[in-house]
Amino acid sequence: MICICSEPENQRKFLDRKDGNKLIRFIKLYKIFVAQFLKNLMEYRIDFLTGAVSFLIGQITNILFITIIFSQIPSLAGWKYYEIMFIYGYSLLPKGIDHLLTDNLWSVAYFIVRKGDFDKYLTRPINPLLHVIMEKFQFDALGELITGIVLVIYSAIQLNYVPGAEEVLVILITILFGTLIFTSVKIACCAIAFWIKKSGSILQIFYMSSDFARYPITIYNKGVRFIISYVIPFAFTSYYPAAYLLRGGNGFVCAGKTILISSIVFCISLLIWNRGISAYESAGS
Amino acid sequence: MKQFKSVKRTYGAFVNAGIQDFIAYKASFFGFFIGEIFMCFVMYFIWKAVYASTGRTDFMGFTMLDMMVYVFLTHISGFLIQTDATFSIASEIKDGSIIMRMIKPVNVDLSFLFFEFGSKIMIITCVFVPVMIGLEIYRYITLGYVAFKITRLLLFIVSISISYLLSFYLNLIFGYLAFYLLNIWGFGVLKEELIKFFSGAVIPIAFFPGVIKKVFGFLPFASLTYTPVMIYMEKYNGIKLIFNLSLQIVWLFAFIAFSSGLWKWAEKRLAVQGG
Repeated sequence: MICICSEPENQRKFLDRKDGNKLIRFIKLYKIFVAQFLKNLMEYRIDFLTGAVSFLIGQITNILFITIIFSQIPSLAGWKYYEIMFIYGYSLLPKGIDHLLTDNLWSVAYFIVRKGDFDKYLTRPINPLLHVIMEKFQFDALGELITGIVLVIYSAIQLNYVPGAEEVLVILITILFGTLIFTSVKIACCAIAFWIKKSGSILQIFYMSSDFARYPITIYNKGVRFIISYVIPFAFTSYYPAAYLLRGGNGFVCAGKTILISSIVFCISLLIWNRGISAYESAGS
Repeated sequence: MKQFKSVKRTYGAFVNAGIQDFIAYKASFFGFFIGEIFMCFVMYFIWKAVYASTGRTDFMGFTMLDMMVYVFLTHISGFLIQTDATFSIASEIKDGSIIMRMIKPVNVDLSFLFFEFGSKIMIITCVFVPVMIGLEIYRYITLGYVAFKITRLLLFIVSISISYLLSFYLNLIFGYLAFYLLNIWGFGVLKEELIKFFSGAVIPIAFFPGVIKKVFGFLPFASLTYTPVMIYMEKYNGIKLIFNLSLQIVWLFAFIAFSSGLWKWAEKRLAVQGG
């Protein structure tokens, strides 16, 4: 549960304030939530370790798989070992950040709506979506994030790759908006629960389809390529930016496309979410 | 015969409950199923690219067709031997509802086992049979003749049944260990990842270098999905086949013994409060 109990007088004043900068208010609130969550975490340190280690091992398994394949072949569809590693690592960055920040959406999809617990979010003076997202910080994601960062840096060194100023900008933009793609897909799938009560399996299907984006999309046939580029655009979270960084191209186009696509997906997902909230019926108790 | 009837009377209800449970939660099962099928197709494209890169028809003793049969069969076998024993037993121990099983005149292990038989019946009819038919059609189209052998299917069924029991007892042991663990979910993910790796679900064990391959082959994890799949694909023949089947049985008995020992020990320490 969330508890904003210290200095109640101050807190109330702060929450009552209708005017003022919304962003500052959000950041202040977020700090309170994170502090609360960190206290929780300190209580269950072993839990945190198990979660993070298990995600780490999952990634290591996949890396071994790629390594074993490359012990037999010089390149895969024209991509060398470290290039594949770079793309793979890059795909983990937005995925990991999203996993770290918005993991609570899974709970909404699986049981919060079904049990009628979503009422709680509707009665608080915060935007329900922000509230859901703020409530949980998923440190399991560090398993993915650390693997991703290590892979990207290590393979960049092996490839003698040094990004220039323009590239760094593209990296920052694509990671930020790539994260938004993941979050949007999760919001949209999770919102379906407002109509059908439990949408965890739908979310699972869409989320798993991001596995396609871990490898160069040139290995897929046209149908799959189209789907992961323009229908569930996970290719923009990893392959397109990584390919630009490794093979060159127009950075402006690359970043622009990612911003455009992710903004579209984000708007669609917000639309679904808002419609869903108005369709939400609480469970009888 | 009489004994069989009494078993049927006692545990038939658990099987029924299992079927109903599956029907109630079918949506979440099919979510996972479709997700796994995606993964199979990712593997399909990767292997296609790999075979195109090598320019040869075989990769470490596997043809492209072998590889596809391997990928799909391993995933399907994963579904057949998948069990919720860890989670169900751990949560029942935590909330104390396990006491309801203990006061009934049933064996605790068997009541969990028969409950799962129910969902397995559903998985076999809804998933296993269609996928196998699809796979055989694919094999027929690629090879131009029927590669399906009924003896191999029967051997596969025997082997996968042992695998399932093995996986069940392995998970039971993990469930008992949950006495000491809080994050059952995180622990479950960790266990799944380790099993996936050691049982050859990501990388066929045959692809590992010399000594590692031998060691992995002996571990109980290889007995889970690798052995039945290798049997079906006719990679295990004659003495090798008999050896691997026996190895499965040896591991199964070892796990049963270990889990019942652990249960006896846990039972004594189990304290359920309130009612």
